[in-house]
Amino acid sequence: MRKVWRGVLIFTAIAVTLPLVILLLIHFTPHPPTGKMDYARELLSKAEVNKANTYSKKLFTEARIFYDSAMVNWKKENKRFIYFRHYDKVASFADLSAKKASQACENSVSTSANLKIKLKQKIDTLDGLVVQLDQLFNTYPLPSEIRNRISKGKILLKEAEIVYNKGMYFQANRKITDSEYLLTGSYENASTSLKNYFKSFSVWKRWVDKTLNDSKKNNDYSIIIDKFSRKCFIYLSGSRKYIFDAELGKNWVGSKRVKGDMATPEGMYKIAKKFDGGKTKYYKALLLDYPNDDDKQKFRAEIENGSLPASSKIGGLIEIHGNGGKGIDWTEGCIALTDREMDVVFKIVRVGTPVTIIGSMVELKDVVDK
Amino acid sequence: MKNKVLMGLAAIAMVAFLSSCGKVPQAKVDATNAAIEAAQTAEAAVYVPAEFSAVQDSMKSINAAIEVQKSKLFKKFGPIEVKLDETLAAANKVATDAAAKKDEVKKEVETTMTAVKAVIEENGTLMKKAPRGKEGAAVLEAMKTDMAAIEASVADAQALYDKGTYMDALNKIKAASDKANGINTELKDAIAKVHGKTPMAAKKK
Repeated sequence: MRKVWRGVLIFTAIAVTLPLVILLLIHFTPHPPTGKMDYARELLSKAEVNKANTYSKKLFTEARIFYDSAMVNWKKENKRFIYFRHYDKVASFADLSAKKASQACENSVSTSANLKIKLKQKIDTLDGLVVQLDQLFNTYPLPSEIRNRISKGKILLKEAEIVYNKGMYFQANRKITDSEYLLTGSYENASTSLKNYFKSFSVWKRWVDKTLNDSKKNNDYSIIIDKFSRKCFIYLSGSRKYIFDAELGKNWVGSKRVKGDMATPEGMYKIAKKFDGGKTKYYKALLLDYPNDDDKQKFRAEIENGSLPASSKIGGLIEIHGNGGKGIDWTEGCIALTDREMDVVFKIVRVGTPVTIIGSMVELKDVVDK
Repeated sequence: MKNKVLMGLAAIAMVAFLSSCGKVPQAKVDATNAAIEAAQTAEAAVYVPAEFSAVQDSMKSINAAIEVQKSKLFKKFGPIEVKLDETLAAANKVATDAAAKKDEVKKEVETTMTAVKAVIEENGTLMKKAPRGKEGAAVLEAMKTDMAAIEASVADAQALYDKGTYMDALNKIKAASDKANGINTELKDAIAKVHGKTPMAAKKK
């Protein structure tokens, strides 16, 4: 009987002790920083959603490295005997990862927002530049290389707009930078050429004033060709009577220097001869006395200073003639009007009528403002 | 005394048994990782980035959950296995979706490319018909340079397409398409203006 009681006692003791031991074992098991790891992962995920891997790459990469380090340490600790495990490092890496991920997220949001604003401004500016380029230089004889750069710049700007609208700001930025390089470079190049051209404005103004004074004084007709506006102005006694559209030589910017340069000369000329009927292939023509003494002197000086080859020849046969109305500068240096306009001009002018050809009657700033 | 020793050993054996009864479902982990890798190879990050990101997040949380279980005295991988099954299915879907999206983008590039080429050709014809009045011809000259740039852009898009970078090709060809259509509209408007005037003039007579 005693033996039975002893057995019951032992069994009861074990039945009570064993769960207690198990509970104690569980209680003293080291706990991994699960919450911290979850939080870090959550922040990493949030950062990724906010494109931190693009807009805050450094911080995001650091956050990821810290998270991976936490995982590596966690795995390492889990390989040790359960009661020898220490998760301090894991927790520390998880904290660092969360901190960096949070910073990456904030940084990404602000960077992309700033970039969005900045790029929009750049796109608008470049769009404005394209409009300006079109307005100022569509009919300006730019070198084909510059024209190609402008066209390429425009396409790149369009591509930038497309990727910008998709929220791909870094890609948009690269394309905008390339487009900006092409467009602003071309604009500066063209503007410099234009500014240099307009340096002669005071001379042109003097010629215009003299031409108008002479017209007034002699009570006679005189013609002024404004190359930049492509206009042919006809004055009688200093008052404007007619305005016609004029077409010029293909390379009309700058004065004519040499035979075959396709440039329309600039200077004060007179009508030397009048041709009509079968004497001209351009319906009717007014031959100018180009080259005049000034042109010859300039040409000789350029040969002497070596800016023109010694074998160069001075051009000639510059006319105001018909067959115009093509809407493009197509002549080899002459001024083309429509046949109907040519009829008017031909009728009112005579041999000796002054023809003054200038770059522009208005200053560059007025041209640009217009 | 002998009984006591036996009882103690039994208790230790039970603890050891309970603490090691759960095993990491390594085969499933490997299969899921392989599926994620396959999705990555299918350019899921490019074509279905949000979905791919979700699968990656899911795998990360599974890895953490595995370590949580490994940290415990009594491991339980049942729910993780369920999660792994779900993630594996999601990864496979992402790979399929990425391939489908890629194919869709590819087709869009092809369609846009064909359309742009047709517009370029039409623009060539329209340029011959376009009015060449005051400044018209000069504008046409500028348009010709723009058209040359568009054609170069189409060639670039084709090169990107041949390389298999369809998203970049699409962005490029869309820009070319916008520009070519812009010129097309300008030309048609200019022609319409001229054609619009003629009947009016005829009426006046």
